[in-house]
Amino acid sequence: MGTIRMDRRLFLKSAGATAGAVAALQVGCLKYFKKGRSSAGDTKEIPTTCELCPNKCSAIAVVEGGFVKKLNPNPENPKSRDMLCARGNAAIKQVYDPDRLKQPMIRVGARGEGKWKPVSWDEAFDFAAKKLSEVKDKYGPQASLWSSTEGFQEVFFKNLGLSFGSPNLVRHPTLCLASVNLAYSATFGTVPSFDLLNSKFVIMSGANRFESIITPDTMDLIGGVMERKAKLVYLDPRFTVTAAKADEWYPIKPGTDLAFILAMIHVIIAEGRHSKDFVATYTTGFEQLAEHVKQYTPEWAEKETEIPAKDIVRIAREFADAGARALYYAGRRSSWYQNDFQMRRAQAILNAIVGNWDQMGGMVPNAKLPKGEFLFMPWDEPKAPRVDEVQKEFPLAAAGDGVYLKLRENVLSGKPYPIKAWMVYKQDPMNSLPDQAKTLKMIEQMDFIGVIDVQMSDMAWYADVVFPESAYLERTDPVEVMPGIWPAVVFRQQVVKPIHDTKPNLEIVQGLAKRLGLGDYFDYTIEQWVEAEFKDLPIPMASEHMKKHGVWAASGQPSYGKTLTPDHRFVTKTGKIEIFSERLQEAGYDPLPVYAAPVQPPGDRFRLILGRVGYFTHANQSNNVWLHEFMKENDLWINPKPAERLGIRDGAYVSVSSSVGSVKLKARVTGEIRPDCVFMLHGFGKKSKMQSLVYNVGASDAVILETAWDKVSGNAAFHETFVKVANA
Amino acid sequence: MRNTLKLLAVIATLSASLAAQGGSDTKGKFFFKKTCKSCHSAGGNAKEITPLSKTQAQWKAYFAAGKHKKGTEKIDSVIKPEQVKDVQTFLVNHASDSPQPETCGG
Repeated sequence: MGTIRMDRRLFLKSAGATAGAVAALQVGCLKYFKKGRSSAGDTKEIPTTCELCPNKCSAIAVVEGGFVKKLNPNPENPKSRDMLCARGNAAIKQVYDPDRLKQPMIRVGARGEGKWKPVSWDEAFDFAAKKLSEVKDKYGPQASLWSSTEGFQEVFFKNLGLSFGSPNLVRHPTLCLASVNLAYSATFGTVPSFDLLNSKFVIMSGANRFESIITPDTMDLIGGVMERKAKLVYLDPRFTVTAAKADEWYPIKPGTDLAFILAMIHVIIAEGRHSKDFVATYTTGFEQLAEHVKQYTPEWAEKETEIPAKDIVRIAREFADAGARALYYAGRRSSWYQNDFQMRRAQAILNAIVGNWDQMGGMVPNAKLPKGEFLFMPWDEPKAPRVDEVQKEFPLAAAGDGVYLKLRENVLSGKPYPIKAWMVYKQDPMNSLPDQAKTLKMIEQMDFIGVIDVQMSDMAWYADVVFPESAYLERTDPVEVMPGIWPAVVFRQQVVKPIHDTKPNLEIVQGLAKRLGLGDYFDYTIEQWVEAEFKDLPIPMASEHMKKHGVWAASGQPSYGKTLTPDHRFVTKTGKIEIFSERLQEAGYDPLPVYAAPVQPPGDRFRLILGRVGYFTHANQSNNVWLHEFMKENDLWINPKPAERLGIRDGAYVSVSSSVGSVKLKARVTGEIRPDCVFMLHGFGKKSKMQSLVYNVGASDAVILETAWDKVSGNAAFHETFVKVANA
Repeated sequence: MRNTLKLLAVIATLSASLAAQGGSDTKGKFFFKKTCKSCHSAGGNAKEITPLSKTQAQWKAYFAAGKHKKGTEKIDSVIKPEQVKDVQTFLVNHASDSPQPETCGG
């Protein structure tokens, strides 16, 4: 067996041990909160909010002698509850990582050569402001691109780009969940939470929830599936940990999930198993759907998906019988195919017709909590349209996020106008975008690149100047409302002073803004910002509470059914749940999901499929020394039959080539994947020598992935690449 | 020089659609929060109002009528005349039937 299985066992074993420890800790922590916060000698315990993944779990940092010794879970947060995952614990090593950026640096060699000059903050700010001003003077403010990923301090970076006059902010969603967000928004007017803890029947398409990211909803799934015996049906070309824990696993033919869902809808409607009252009261377009899905029989779907028709029929019946407590779970999976939006729409529609909306065990619209807002001085809107032409090409997409791959195409072509400066915050386009060679070309044509990050990412490695951001344990951030079934407000406060010459993002933005003549828009401190946010929290002495506890949650049980009143208006065009979407039709898209069979790889090639493990999930944590212990290198999963045909042995190096690049990594010959696919994990093969544990180790999927995107949302389609595999 | 003029022409053309809408969403949000929300908030002196309180057509009709406080006063006596267009733009853009795809963070 290869490394993943061994590590998986180790991880689950440690997770089991953690569960026991957590139970003990919970009791301890609860006692602690009853007693109030006290310090023994030099030891302090400071509540804060984790930043190692987007989940934002509450943590309590144990600080001794000015050093973070340990991170504990904070049981007061109903979302993260008493949990801090392996990655959350490893945040300590982000602070004390010898590889991290320790002072501002300006490039002195060629881009990517790795020759840097340490400079003062003033020198770094002056240099960047001069370069940005030169681009602005020569090409206009729209010639600057501002790329960022979600985070509590992202708002300051985005505001700098906008106040500079650029419309070209491009965020991560079209590399992540934009297709999900758009499909559920188009259907329900919002993206709901999934009440996994209370569901009775869950179906997942490729969302490898037990393995790819370990968050509280993973725990809900474990609670729901493993303890309460909710049924889990899982579709994935690969036998993952989730497949191992599922009641039924189907190695579906890649790219055919939509056929499976449409056939389920066909069965449910044909047999009259849909929730008739709910459909009549809250939805629009059911009649068109009933007519539309007549063509999608289970027998037809069997040929597409390779899932037996009798199983599709049975699963559809069981799903409909579970009714309000049945869930087709969207998960956190990114988009894989060019029809991803329509596949998500079909999931949303299937959920709608069984009436699981706003029900215990179903899909629940997110409850929100009030929060104050710091009103900063507003600027004039950027004059130019976006360079990615979102409004023309993707009229229904979230324009403020941009569409990353279309943007890169337009930047490379120089049309509709040139982009010559690129500022990046907390993002690594070198690894998060497919086709790294194209990203490198984009880098080449920039007059200036500035990167703000905690570590020397591959993107930072190719920058002209790097601004070292303080790690989350070293800074105070804006307050965040966590909407959900159990809504909460979380606060991230400084736990230790920065150990290197780093700054929080706000101060980096202010340093640049001052030199760009934009200082008035950022004339506040983080303390003023968070105090304004505390102001509208519905609790007495909110500021004191948040500093003492790090989190506040509305008490009581989740409330279901608030939107289930006949006069409730959904935030859609018709005010109803839109099964048939006029808005999609007006924009030139299919108003109901239409299936088109995916192109299959030629005989000598494989479809490349991707996935994640919870140790790092995203590319930016694989250099963390504690997480690296779990997995040191990625490999290529290949089925024994094609491996034998190609003479590939387990553990031998193979080359994997697509039309855009080639990588070398070890083969893992395993029957846990279909013969028409190969699989590799994300996050290895780094180019930055300051990612020393994973520099040139394994391979980066970004090198071989081809450019493709979902037609409606613009979300990158990550499973559209065919590769050749050969002994290296 | 010719290239620069060409570029400016392209941007001017592409910008026309934006300019035609008039009003600034960013400034409108600021003025709405600063002025309107001082009364129209939970626990405030007047009924809580958010952009979702009306549809796009209803907001447009409201501003076309230009009245405030059940028609007893003009809207531009409450919001400065030069800010009305911005507030209208913000409210219409985020009305209950406006396309508002959700995003991750941000």
